[in-house]
Amino acid sequence: MGHPALLAAAVVAPITGGVLATLLGRRSGRAALIVAVASLAVAFAALVTEAPAVLGRGVLVTEHFGGFAPVDGHQLAITWTADGFGLVVALTVAAIGAVLVGYALSELSDLGPHELGWLAALSLFLCAGVIGAALTADLLNMFVWFEVSALASYGLTAFWLERPVALEAAFKIAVLTAIAGFLVFVGMGLLYQQHGAVNFGELHRAMAGAATRVDVAAVALLLAGFATKAGLVAFHTWLPDAHSAAPGPVSAMFSGLLILLGVVGVVRTVFVVADPHALPMLGVLTALGIVSGVVGALAALGQDDLKRLLGFDTIAEVGLITIGLATGRAAGIAAAAMLLVNHALFKSLLFLDASAIVHATGEERLSKLRGIGRSQPVLAAIFVLGAAALVGVPPLNGYASFGVLHADLREHAPVLLGAAVLIEVLITAALTRATCLVLFVGERRATRQHGPKVGMVAAMAVLGLLCVVAGVAASAVARYVGQPSAAGLLHAGDAAAAMLGGSTRLELVAVHADLLDPFELMLTAGILAIGIGLGVRLVRARQPAPVRAVRALHTGSVHDDVAAMIVGVILVAVALAPGH
Amino acid sequence: MILLDSICAVALFSIGLYGVLVRRNLVKVVMSLSLMEASTYLLLVAFASRRDATAPIVATTAAGGIASARFADPFLQNICLTAIIIGVAITAVFLSIAVRAAQHLGTADTGALRQLHG
Repeated sequence: MGHPALLAAAVVAPITGGVLATLLGRRSGRAALIVAVASLAVAFAALVTEAPAVLGRGVLVTEHFGGFAPVDGHQLAITWTADGFGLVVALTVAAIGAVLVGYALSELSDLGPHELGWLAALSLFLCAGVIGAALTADLLNMFVWFEVSALASYGLTAFWLERPVALEAAFKIAVLTAIAGFLVFVGMGLLYQQHGAVNFGELHRAMAGAATRVDVAAVALLLAGFATKAGLVAFHTWLPDAHSAAPGPVSAMFSGLLILLGVVGVVRTVFVVADPHALPMLGVLTALGIVSGVVGALAALGQDDLKRLLGFDTIAEVGLITIGLATGRAAGIAAAAMLLVNHALFKSLLFLDASAIVHATGEERLSKLRGIGRSQPVLAAIFVLGAAALVGVPPLNGYASFGVLHADLREHAPVLLGAAVLIEVLITAALTRATCLVLFVGERRATRQHGPKVGMVAAMAVLGLLCVVAGVAASAVARYVGQPSAAGLLHAGDAAAAMLGGSTRLELVAVHADLLDPFELMLTAGILAIGIGLGVRLVRARQPAPVRAVRALHTGSVHDDVAAMIVGVILVAVALAPGH
Repeated sequence: MILLDSICAVALFSIGLYGVLVRRNLVKVVMSLSLMEASTYLLLVAFASRRDATAPIVATTAAGGIASARFADPFLQNICLTAIIIGVAITAVFLSIAVRAAQHLGTADTGALRQLHG
């Protein structure tokens, strides 16, 4: 087992690297990006030393920074606890972050050193923010990491400063995230005022049992604030805009990594801070998940901009992850954790491929890209692989995580299984339509094009390979990603004790990924058949009314976005309030 | 006092939110957000105060004891300082985006920022 203090290296390395990168950016952009890859590799190595204990044996590793141990069960000093869920998120961020920065090194190498230096630095700050949030056991500390990654994301969204859409997207993400930050800040203030604590473990003890009105308000504010970062619907409007305006590797970073901060925040709020059984937290979470899944998938079905389509699909995927978390059962949470990792892999792959397509052709619109696959067979093949993994074609990685989720819902909540299947059908249709349009439908284009660079293909090959491996080795993923993630959230009392005391070992609940389950294979075949049929039909057909209605709701006005968010806050608060 | 401060904080937050929802000038939106931000500091500082409390500075008496045991909660004031620093950085980013957008679009109207929709 690694020393608990090694956890700190996982953020110290990227932040130091980020500062170095801004300095190196005065001379050589390439050097700055190489430093970025190296510092994420160091962070990954530091985290891996904790993996055998945390992911293998279900140990929770706790570090009280500065040696300030709790006094009489009270802890105001910063404490970090690596539980299964947090460590899985942190490892994912470090590993995929390194690949994405490596890709940027290749695709964007023509840019000036100043730009590349800042790209490297902001990417590192973003990753550090998510890693810190995943490992911290302190609400104030989490707020700080929230803002660290938020500031980095504003800069990255506005990376193409000369493009008005980038400025527009940056303004929207800044307004919505800033308000989300206020919500988290006030929620934290209310909880401290009530209980005199910001440590998750202490809050968990104080909040056990009956919640007061102020507790409910605080939890609603925290949930809404983190849901904004996670891209759950009503709070999601910044997401598709930021994804379409940012450079490709940055979009991949937003979709795969940045939203994890929100998911972690939601998870900590629901399972650790609040008592999920004292308040109707899981019901609210289920509702958020279903609405996000359906709205995201319907909106994705009608998009013409490839990256915007993938952005809306991210909202749908977060919806599915949330449905899994909201089960509150080992298998459901394990499926959510697996989907979270798998989504980071295949969505990063798809965004990088989309970026490579834009790089090769200079076009982002599906209507202009028609038939590009015939002249770019490599990019076409990668897109098909990523889309297949996403929609759950066996034996790729999406299939395994959907399978675990389906198995749990089939046993305990058949209605939710229906909702999940509906969302998956719509996602399949959206991706099928995009694949058909990009790759096969239309005439062979004769415009000036150049193929992807070696580094770009290498980065995509790594992600593609991981998609295949994580799919084939699904039972290992379920064992080392799913089980420990579920353990830390199901035994919140023990986790709370670990956050105040020291390292604790939790009992793992067995979760199986059965790739050959006949029911699951039939269900997947059905989802794929209906989804692909619908997608192919929609290539030429007029957009159906629900798609047009959902798209009409996204007016693009920042005022409407804020209004939607405020309505969301009120709805969450009202839904949590019965009996108060 | 806590109640009065809290009511003021909620009022300021609401005024700021109203500004974000209806003001169509980018700079005024940013100003409204700053007002919302300031209201959160007021709320937390209000939570920190106690009746007849002094500033959270430990002063010693001639005998070596602590002069007053009643002081405002330093922790909440501390996190407000943290948030103020973050807030300054965010306002700087906001204003630079707003200035850039106004330069590129020739207007500071939020209506011009509606290309990404649907």
